[in-house]
Amino acid sequence: MKTFKGGFHVPDNKALTADAAIEQMPAVTDYYVSLSQHIGKPAQPVVNVGDEVVEGQLIAQASSAVSANIHSPVCGQVVETVKRKNVQGAQVDCIHIRSNGKQDKFTYQKLTDPTPQQIVERIAQAGIVGMGGAGFPTAIKLQPKDPVDSLIINAAECEPYLNCDNRLLIERTEQFLAGVRLIAKAIGVSDIYIGIESNKTEAYNKLLSQEGVIADTKEALQNRKEGDIVAVLLKKKYPQGAEKTLIKACVNREVPVGGLPAAVGCIVNNVGTAYAVWDAVVNGTPLYKRLMTVSGGGIVNPKNVEVAIGTPLSSVVELCGGLSDNTVKLVSGGPMMGFSLMNLDVCTTKTDSGFLALTDKEASTVLPTPCINCGRCASVCPMRLMPMYIDFYTTVGDTENAVKYGALNCFECGTCAYVCPAKRPIVQSVRLTKMKAKEK
Amino acid sequence: MSNFVYSSSPHIKSPRTTRRIMIDVCIALLPACIAGCILMGTASPATPELGWMSFMHLAICCITAVASEWIYLLCCKKSFKQIINEFDFTSLVTGLLIGMNLYPTSKWYVGIFASIFAIVVVKMLFGGTGKNLVNPAIAGRIFAFIAFGAAFGGVMGYMGPGDKTWALDSPIGNGGSVTAGATPLQTLFNADYTSTLTNLDLFLGTGVAGCIGETCKLALIVGGIYLVIRGVLNFRWPLVYIATTGVVSVIIAWIDNVQALPNVNSVMIGEAFKDAIGIFLPSILSGGLILGAIFMATDYVTTPNTKLGNYIYFVLLGVLTAVLRKAVRGEAVSFAILLMNILVPLFDLVFRRRPFGYVKPQKQPRPTKVKTSEPDEKLISKEGE
Repeated sequence: MKTFKGGFHVPDNKALTADAAIEQMPAVTDYYVSLSQHIGKPAQPVVNVGDEVVEGQLIAQASSAVSANIHSPVCGQVVETVKRKNVQGAQVDCIHIRSNGKQDKFTYQKLTDPTPQQIVERIAQAGIVGMGGAGFPTAIKLQPKDPVDSLIINAAECEPYLNCDNRLLIERTEQFLAGVRLIAKAIGVSDIYIGIESNKTEAYNKLLSQEGVIADTKEALQNRKEGDIVAVLLKKKYPQGAEKTLIKACVNREVPVGGLPAAVGCIVNNVGTAYAVWDAVVNGTPLYKRLMTVSGGGIVNPKNVEVAIGTPLSSVVELCGGLSDNTVKLVSGGPMMGFSLMNLDVCTTKTDSGFLALTDKEASTVLPTPCINCGRCASVCPMRLMPMYIDFYTTVGDTENAVKYGALNCFECGTCAYVCPAKRPIVQSVRLTKMKAKEK
Repeated sequence: MSNFVYSSSPHIKSPRTTRRIMIDVCIALLPACIAGCILMGTASPATPELGWMSFMHLAICCITAVASEWIYLLCCKKSFKQIINEFDFTSLVTGLLIGMNLYPTSKWYVGIFASIFAIVVVKMLFGGTGKNLVNPAIAGRIFAFIAFGAAFGGVMGYMGPGDKTWALDSPIGNGGSVTAGATPLQTLFNADYTSTLTNLDLFLGTGVAGCIGETCKLALIVGGIYLVIRGVLNFRWPLVYIATTGVVSVIIAWIDNVQALPNVNSVMIGEAFKDAIGIFLPSILSGGLILGAIFMATDYVTTPNTKLGNYIYFVLLGVLTAVLRKAVRGEAVSFAILLMNILVPLFDLVFRRRPFGYVKPQKQPRPTKVKTSEPDEKLISKEGE
């Protein structure tokens, strides 16, 4: 089984929702659609207060090269533009749409046998962004400057608790594979890999049962036909689903420090992104819905839900039976890289892969103690850094040395902070150093 | 209203804490402590009180170590409740280790001074847990060795019951009295190495004099295996250290044997090597090597943080131990660990890891100095002032 060096086996807790079929979130009355759900500049609104909009209608368009279109999740009226907190705690502009209960739907023209150029254009039109969490506009990703020979689909889903990619692979396998082939066509590659962690046996077997998907074994690879997709079974280890570790495990290439995957000829896309591409190209549906895992010990009925973007989180939680009394922490995203929330007063975005309510047994609330220099953080770091020194130098205020020990190469997977017996807030230190280094 | 915890990711953390690790170490030390007390008490029918004295030493050291840490923290104006909440058992480990490093017949006050020195001077004055430069227990043992000499016992010899002198690892006589004897360690490098102690005796600690904690190698190894199973200890490092010491000891003995030969030929060199191999097991089973290797050299705070650094560290430690044993014949393990501990920050500096996707910086051609006839502007302005 392929993997990368370092990392740590974090208990995955996926059983809570692993077998829960995808449910549709029923419509609510008020939606707050954020204008910055992606990396880059916020989108520019193209509707005015009082306008009637239909489901799928463009309400804000990309304002610069790195930006993305945003579509209305519901039929209704634009009430106002307000500032609301996003999951990271920053104030962002949101369009408030009140539903009027109509069922009208706007779709783009359906494309049959599109050219690569048409696919990329449609992806940009539909406002598709990387749905693994970073939210990088996909259309830009599919037009790399460096020559690319492989497409890697990230189905590792190494974050504990989350199951939305897993369920999508099981329930919408054909659509997903069609989406993968569309992306491959757009960038013009025939080497396609799907990296999937070994704890998703059902999804893996489902993939292999499809035509044109082969296992990553010697015999299978010898009989590989042009355009066959290789499903690579990866060792269950965190952070297997990080871009750089996934590339290392699947095709054994190391992305250079500060470089993009395209520098080693790879493009990585998420399962959810591939499905969204299929939906946008074949059905003409823009991206205004996504799958989300609502889980954790504090959720009464953990579920996998398909939610429209802009849905208030409180409604989603209500659908799942509400919070139990012993909830101590609310997390948007996975427990390793997600953001903790003050309250449920936020709305879903394109990049929300999950919402967790953690109980006192699950969430760690132990206070940090002095570092005992055990070296565990260094031994698990997938980027081969020395986190203990980053933490030390950040604590004493020496940004220069913290950078020297690799603070800027860190992608904040949090494995070091997970294994730390002294519970040092290493990821926080890294973020602080990154901020200070930016200021300089 | 928000009663939820708000913090940076990751939101889940491993259940392992510093306190849990230190409790594990304490548990791992217990077999050796118990075995030490029993072996000392039963070594000779004439001296059953040695067992109680061993127990007393361990108790005194533990109490002193913990008490001195707490008193120090109270002096730093920490409330007692806070001290109890933050207590991480490191001082208890130090206390236990110092007790194990005493001889059952050391004077009762030696442990007190050694513990206070280890905790207050070596650990707390440097900043407490995780900030100490050298292992407090090793420093405590060396402090006792240098400051108390005869009262500490050990190779310096001390007055035991019946005014008999003991030496490290000497066989305890069965005739009811403790006899003076050359230890395997002291004669290890003599060409005519013989000992009444078998390797099995050394391994089980039966009839071997020495420190309370270091005689029964079996108990120490059981503790070490417990730590490996609990994920506290990496089995590689003690093994590398012990194996290196054994191999280097054999090489040193071989060289000695060859030098002692009247005339040198290849057959005799081979014979000398065969003789030298005989000291491999005694050299690793004698003295405090196994105690030091499993519990003291592998202290987290005073080991390098990278794999490569650790390999080099423990190999050098092994070489240094074997050479010191040959050179000074006493406290070799302690001094080797102490010396290497001081070098640890350097190891982390030199053997820094290369990050994932490291690109070798391209060498930039050095800007060639162009000599100009015009005088340097800076110089002119300085002269102008």
